[in-house]
Amino acid sequence: MITFENVGKQFPDGTQAVRHFDLHIKEGEFITLIGPSGCGKTTTMKMINRLIEPTEGYIYINGKKVKDHPLDELRWNIGYVLQQIALFPHMTVEENIAIVPEMKKWKKEKISSRIDELMNMVGLDAQTYRKRKPSELSGGQQQRVGVVRALAADPDIILMDEPFSALDPISREQLQQDIQSLQKEIQKTIVFVTHDMDEALALGDRVCLMKEGEIVQLDTPQELVLNPADSFVKDFIGGRKSPWQTGIDAVMSEGRISRDGTEFITDEEGRWEFALKNGETIDLPALTTDATLKEAADSLQSSESEALPVVSANTYLGYVTYETIVTYLKRTSEERNGGGIKQ
Amino acid sequence: MNEFIQVFEQRQDEFWIKIWEHLQISIISLVIATLIAVPLGLILTRKEKTAEPIIQVAAILQTIPSLAVLAFLIPFFGIGQTPAIIALTAYGLLPILRNTYTGIKEVDDSLLEAATGMGMNSFKRLSKVELPLAMPVIMAGIRTSMVLIVGTTTIAALIGAGGLGDLILLGLDRGGDLNLILLGAVPAALLAIFLDVILRVLEKSSAKNGLRTMGILITTAVVIAAAPFLFNTDAGGDDLIIGAKLNAEPTILINMYEQLIEEETDLEVGLEPNLGKTDLVFSALQEGSIDIYPEFTGTALVSLLDRQPDSYEAQQVYQQAEEGMAETYDMAYLEPMQYNNTYAVATTEEFAQQYDIETIGDLASIDDQVTAGFTLEFNDRQDGYQGMKELYNLEFGEVKTMDPGLRQGAIENGEVDIIDAYATDSYMVELNLKVLEDPENLFPPYQGAPLMRQETLEEHPELEEVLNQLGGKITGDEMREMNYKVDYEDEDPADVANDFLTEKGLLDE
Repeated sequence: MITFENVGKQFPDGTQAVRHFDLHIKEGEFITLIGPSGCGKTTTMKMINRLIEPTEGYIYINGKKVKDHPLDELRWNIGYVLQQIALFPHMTVEENIAIVPEMKKWKKEKISSRIDELMNMVGLDAQTYRKRKPSELSGGQQQRVGVVRALAADPDIILMDEPFSALDPISREQLQQDIQSLQKEIQKTIVFVTHDMDEALALGDRVCLMKEGEIVQLDTPQELVLNPADSFVKDFIGGRKSPWQTGIDAVMSEGRISRDGTEFITDEEGRWEFALKNGETIDLPALTTDATLKEAADSLQSSESEALPVVSANTYLGYVTYETIVTYLKRTSEERNGGGIKQ
Repeated sequence: MNEFIQVFEQRQDEFWIKIWEHLQISIISLVIATLIAVPLGLILTRKEKTAEPIIQVAAILQTIPSLAVLAFLIPFFGIGQTPAIIALTAYGLLPILRNTYTGIKEVDDSLLEAATGMGMNSFKRLSKVELPLAMPVIMAGIRTSMVLIVGTTTIAALIGAGGLGDLILLGLDRGGDLNLILLGAVPAALLAIFLDVILRVLEKSSAKNGLRTMGILITTAVVIAAAPFLFNTDAGGDDLIIGAKLNAEPTILINMYEQLIEEETDLEVGLEPNLGKTDLVFSALQEGSIDIYPEFTGTALVSLLDRQPDSYEAQQVYQQAEEGMAETYDMAYLEPMQYNNTYAVATTEEFAQQYDIETIGDLASIDDQVTAGFTLEFNDRQDGYQGMKELYNLEFGEVKTMDPGLRQGAIENGEVDIIDAYATDSYMVELNLKVLEDPENLFPPYQGAPLMRQETLEEHPELEEVLNQLGGKITGDEMREMNYKVDYEDEDPADVANDFLTEKGLLDE
């Protein structure tokens, strides 16, 4: 969908904001650009809709260089949400939303029904809010309109420049959740710039972590947390953990027989000896209590067993199954609404 | 109040014309100023480096006194509405320019980025975002300009542009006739308020759509401004334009010139009375917007030629002036009339009797008790108070300087004991003032005579014979009497001129 090919940007004052930037963004992908301030993430994003022109390399949309697209049509097909929200204060909510559809010469009825549809989608009652001026809305409501305005003309791509950073924490979290569920519905290609790691990890299908104009690591949130490329990434992620890094005590079941019928045998002093399955003795690797869910899952996979024992200093404590791990992950991810990363 | 209503009723027809002229000049100037300043302001927001210098130029234009701008423009544009509109436009530029620039600059950068990011082109961004948001500030600038222009338009009367200033000037000239001044000043103020209301209404609707409002504003204004031109049939048909300074006397004289010329030749004559002071009228004559005006021999010699009279004998002063005008300015100066409207020092009969004063020299004995009311010009001139001090060896206790029109009020109220006066001023009759004799010939003679460019005379040689009929005619008493009729009995200068010419047999009844 969007391809960066060796893109560089040097500003007239000599600042090299972006260098040797290669990135391929797939259709329908939600990619978050993150990094310390001055890392070039916003510059990178603004080169897509040509608010900033690269000084090196090319950016392609659907295989065609952006500079070969007619500028106005290019921008009409790229929704843009700003940190400052930037609704036009002299226009009503519906006038703000209608700007791009009008420029694209949509019919009045089509624009009107589109406004209804989108406003209701982001939880703003269209009849109540259509005729209001932006100043009559709360910050959170304003940015919802900002998102609707970007979506109005049904663009394929949406660029979001730290869209929620100016909002209060409650509105921010709500909007983050809303944008996630919205994305499931609309399946747009979204490039989302943020300086908030939680937000980047929670929202992005992939996270592009940048430093000094270059990509440091481009990965799924999981991989970023589990396998940080270097100490910079590790520092940036900080104390954030994947649920996979949870100790197995959180998912351990007590008892001697798992639901699949594996029986765990100990000696009289409670020391782990062997397992019985369908009347046969099987040798299973024992997990120690400091193992993580990831290690447990790896062991389950390599042992081809449904359940593994947990021991501490040879003493049998309980067992772990795929089922308990999955149940646990499901529960934690529901808490974070599918985020999968917790602090 | 009753008197005011009476004055209004007398001058009702004239009044409506003046209001219309005033409105017309003001609106044309405002529209032109807006048409220049708004686009210029917009361009400047795109070229910031040049913005400050250009705004400063507009600020400098603003600081030049309006009268000076008018005087400066006459050599290029003559007199009448054109230079007035140019000057007023220059005056109105700054507030509009500055507010347009500021208004557009103050539009939030993030809004512009949003507009650009949404794919608006430069024009769309300007019309849908920048102008509507800047409109209240721009309109505030236009409203400020409007008040400035409507106010300053009163000055345009000095160069024959018309408007309510005519009434104010006339009132000032008639010794501060309050009713006349009010008749000019109050409607000018009301006009400003009226236009302000209209602009405010427009401003409200401009929040919605900047360009459309601007369009409506300009179209309406152009219609108002152009309407008089469409109906104006009497412009341009004249062969000769005769101008005159601000006063009853020159106005009566040019009416005589007109009547005589039209009686005895086929020429069509137009009049431009009340053109302000010597410099303005003479510039207009040089430039060609007027062809003839009556000038005093003394003024021609001392002020225009900057020479001292060789003699104080009237005929010789005229000859010296006539030769000088021909040499220096290539102008023809026809025969002067008899009366001598010289500077004079005047006092009340009572004061003269009390101290037994007949001549200026008699004042020397009581000079430290005398309070004098002089015009600024007289106070400073060698053939005025400065010369008087040396020649008659006196120094008054106090000298109050004031506008010419206010001297008569000051002496009437007893605020001053003596004033400088023009010998034929009508209030000499009204206030029964005594002119002190000038045995040492401090004041050169000031006889009125028609002044014109040599080429005008060559083109219409018959003018010499026609206008010289007045040569040596009109005594000081006759002139004073006619001035009195116009100033105090409010007679039409044309009728007064006609009566005199008929009486003297210069014109058939």
